[in-house]
Amino acid sequence: MPDRAEPPRAGIASSPMRARGWRDLAFAGAPLVVLAAIAPALYGNQLLLFNFVTFLALAQGLNVIYGFTGYLPFGYVGFFGAGAYGFAITVMDFHLGPGAGMAVAAAASVVLGMILSPLLRLSGAYFAIASLAAAQALYDIVSNPALDDVTKGPYGVSLSSVFAPDLSYNVAVGIFAFATLLVIWLRNARFGLALRAMRDDPVSAAMAGFPIVRGRTIAWLLSALIAGLAGGAYAWHISVFYPETAFDISFSIFAVVFTLFGGAATLLGPVCGVVLLYGLYNAIGITVPQYFQLIYGLLIMALVLFLPDGLASLLTRRGIRVP
Amino acid sequence: MLQQAIVSGLVFGLYFTLVGLGLNLIFGVMRIVNIAHGDFLMLGGYAAYWLFTLFGMSPFLAAVLVLVVFLAVGWPLYYLIVPRLQLARDAEMLSLILFFGLSQVIEALATIAFGTTEHSIPGRVLGIGPFGLLGAMLPKAWGVSALVSAIAVGAVALYLYRTRLGTLTRAVMVNRDEALASGIDTNRVSAIAFGIGIALAGLAGVFAPFMLGSMTPSMGVDVNLAAFAVIVVGSLGNPLGTALGGMIYGVSLLLMQTYLSSWANLLPNLMLILVLLVWPTGILGREVRRA
Amino acid sequence: MKASVFGGLAALALAAGIMTVADGARAQGNMGGDMGSVPKEIVIGDLYASTGPFASISMPVYDGLKLWVAETNEEGGAYVKAYDRKIPLRIVSYDDQSNTATAATLTNQLITQDKVDVLVADSGSVLASVSVPVAREHKVFLIDPTGTGSPLFSKDNPYIALVADPASVIWPKYLADFLTDEAAKEGLTRVAILYSTNDFTGTQASALKGFIEASHSPVKIVFYRGVPTSTSDYTVMINTIAATHPDMVIELGYVGNDIAFLRNLQDSGLKFRGVFSIYSGSEPEVLVKNVGASGLAGVFTYSPSNFMHYKPTAGMDVDQFRALWDKTYPGGKVAFGLNSDAGYVTGLAIGQMLANAPDLTALGLRKGIFAASGKMTTLAGPFSLNELGEQTGELMPIGQLAPDGQNAVKLTVVYPPEDADGKAVFGPK
Repeated sequence: MPDRAEPPRAGIASSPMRARGWRDLAFAGAPLVVLAAIAPALYGNQLLLFNFVTFLALAQGLNVIYGFTGYLPFGYVGFFGAGAYGFAITVMDFHLGPGAGMAVAAAASVVLGMILSPLLRLSGAYFAIASLAAAQALYDIVSNPALDDVTKGPYGVSLSSVFAPDLSYNVAVGIFAFATLLVIWLRNARFGLALRAMRDDPVSAAMAGFPIVRGRTIAWLLSALIAGLAGGAYAWHISVFYPETAFDISFSIFAVVFTLFGGAATLLGPVCGVVLLYGLYNAIGITVPQYFQLIYGLLIMALVLFLPDGLASLLTRRGIRVP
Repeated sequence: MLQQAIVSGLVFGLYFTLVGLGLNLIFGVMRIVNIAHGDFLMLGGYAAYWLFTLFGMSPFLAAVLVLVVFLAVGWPLYYLIVPRLQLARDAEMLSLILFFGLSQVIEALATIAFGTTEHSIPGRVLGIGPFGLLGAMLPKAWGVSALVSAIAVGAVALYLYRTRLGTLTRAVMVNRDEALASGIDTNRVSAIAFGIGIALAGLAGVFAPFMLGSMTPSMGVDVNLAAFAVIVVGSLGNPLGTALGGMIYGVSLLLMQTYLSSWANLLPNLMLILVLLVWPTGILGREVRRA
Repeated sequence: MKASVFGGLAALALAAGIMTVADGARAQGNMGGDMGSVPKEIVIGDLYASTGPFASISMPVYDGLKLWVAETNEEGGAYVKAYDRKIPLRIVSYDDQSNTATAATLTNQLITQDKVDVLVADSGSVLASVSVPVAREHKVFLIDPTGTGSPLFSKDNPYIALVADPASVIWPKYLADFLTDEAAKEGLTRVAILYSTNDFTGTQASALKGFIEASHSPVKIVFYRGVPTSTSDYTVMINTIAATHPDMVIELGYVGNDIAFLRNLQDSGLKFRGVFSIYSGSEPEVLVKNVGASGLAGVFTYSPSNFMHYKPTAGMDVDQFRALWDKTYPGGKVAFGLNSDAGYVTGLAIGQMLANAPDLTALGLRKGIFAASGKMTTLAGPFSLNELGEQTGELMPIGQLAPDGQNAVKLTVVYPPEDADGKAVFGPK
């Protein structure tokens, strides 16, 4: 495995690593973000582009926790929903602007991340299921009619007063840029290497003096933050929604499948996953809708059985580095 | 009212034991999370429905038939997908995705075959009217389903603790690699466990039309959420633990329904999280935490 | 070096992904814009959910709408006032799979790529809600078949009309009047309300409670509780309700909730003097199949079009529609009932809209559909819109079911008096 993490060393990242980081930024990260930013000028369905950008951000956010620590939160949508409702409550109940809404969205998801950080003590499928239960629990709370005065319960939210599709699209692109930077940093800084070393061999990493608990908690909160911001931007962009929308489990599933398909712990893997699979998803939906779910299910199965480490592994297996 | 809630919770929960039993067995033996569990249950329900509607077949006969057919389907299905899955670096996580894909396929095919309308079997088939138990009045269908569930739990326990194959199965549960090293045909043992797990899902499905109101092809999601709570609150791999989990689930759900109904769905999820965090090894189970 | 290769590849892939979507089955839209030339067809863009939790309410609407389009095309198309002639119709429809994010993008797809002339949202408030801001942003008029929730409608949005179901806040108007008037006179004053906590039934429950409390009648609400919509068993709930000694029990839920509730009620052996459920009348066949005719005996319900036999000014009457439905969709995989009627009514509303609209712009279409308000009666009753675009007609009277002896049920309309063809029968004290 050429891309295996080196053991963490004291001090800052070595200069070749840092140079690699700049290269990834200049040749992979920056062009992608620019492309996402100018895409609406090239193609008319802005909402489809917005969903692409949302899933790009979510996939990279999930990559931060799954790619670098091995924790797979099936309930990742919980942070997304917390962000969406953080935004909605700020705008609806406190009559503040979208800027404040985004700040609250960020804060809500990070606080939720902190509350749920004990889940990181669980391993494997237990963590995945517990995080799913947590997202469901949050949905049950938000959608309860008893909270009508705060969240509008099951009756749905309308934020037409701050509706601004162009601005919120650009904000989503900004969130994607942030997630991209984060992944580039994790791939090329000592912290990210240490996380991956810990994922592959927690005992040695602990012996090398890496603070395991703090490290993975930081990754967890960053991952939560990205989903929360994406949720805030989503609420802003679509402006009328129900709890079922903001906590739709398919946000989790899509983010997971896209990330796995491309290849976790790389920068371009999740991007390819989103572009190809979400592109395909929409293409199937438009051309042969009656077999939509069937084809998608078969595709997911084939992916896991024949390409478990993602597209990127086709290249890394041959010794080619994927940014 | 309290007594009614507790007694009905115990009986109701016993059915949910059956709902979780197959999922638990498969996870215990293979470390695979069968997200398609609820969809196999749905198929069992539709099988019972069609057998009843077309041939007037009683649910008990249908239950036997479903057990046999689902076992026969589950067994080869194992060889088709699981050994390949286990080659992957992170098979436990990937199993979630793989079986999500399978669940989509099943739901899609079921929708094409059965349509989206609700289906169920008339309640009179299992007897109309309530019966009394420990001062509570319960529907007859609950009693029947709970009885079937108890028999299934007993049978699985007998299989695991009283047969040679069961002993081997438990060896694989404890440590797959060691079992393999000591010459156990882990694939054969697992394939049978997988088949039994699917068959149990089907069996639970046969009684779903009586216990879960009605069926639609998309019912699997809610079933899974309940099944997760049941098997996590009990313990993994142990059928008696699942019985415990089912009854805790049933009692707490019905207590919530009685006193704080709109929050009823919240409790199973919170319980699942708390049990995982408070009992690091599960109530009767084994190590689930790391670091 | 490699990094740049991959950056370029990714960019290409992104572009390719977008192209795929753009190229997929693009329709040749006909905007009314090119003046003078008459389009050879009017394109109706529609969303439906073939799978997922909303499939069972979405498919009947979709099939009902398709039926109307086929019927209209057989007659040479719909009369379009803007061109003063009949023009054939074509449906472009996408499957959102009950997924709201997909519903939103597909709405945008219909607007920006297919450039449809008439835009129809998916059924139910949750799926329809995401289409509302998209339509508004693009200044396209949205036909909302059954998204009845209040967040969909606002004073500053002229681009929507709810055509096939009344707004959810007014659904229980007749029910409240029935309880505070007719039932109260018979001495049924203790009312229990049990609802599923979703926007559709939750809104009705709180509206019903509001109507009753504002009525100053002797009626008292002795039980008012929500249960999660996924609730599949009501046995314990029914016992809890019984402990409050209500005369009338109002259960507001989706089809699955109603089935479970009525089955459990039958199994429990408990009897209330009166029971109300929404779908007993709306989807009577599904209910009879799942609950049995005896389980529906005496149950009160909304009387939808199936039982009302309105004399329509537009479209077929119920019996003709029923016959055509059974011929077109044999096998019963998609339920006939309130939602299939709603799909057909959606079509009729589109027909009236096209027949009245001075041009096919959004505001022209709005004028067209509002022109039908108060003037059209369909098999679902009088059609009327308020200034928000909410449906205020098509209100459903209260009916009571009785087994007809052939494992089906017949419905007697019992309230309001002007529509009634029988008297409500309550159980003994």
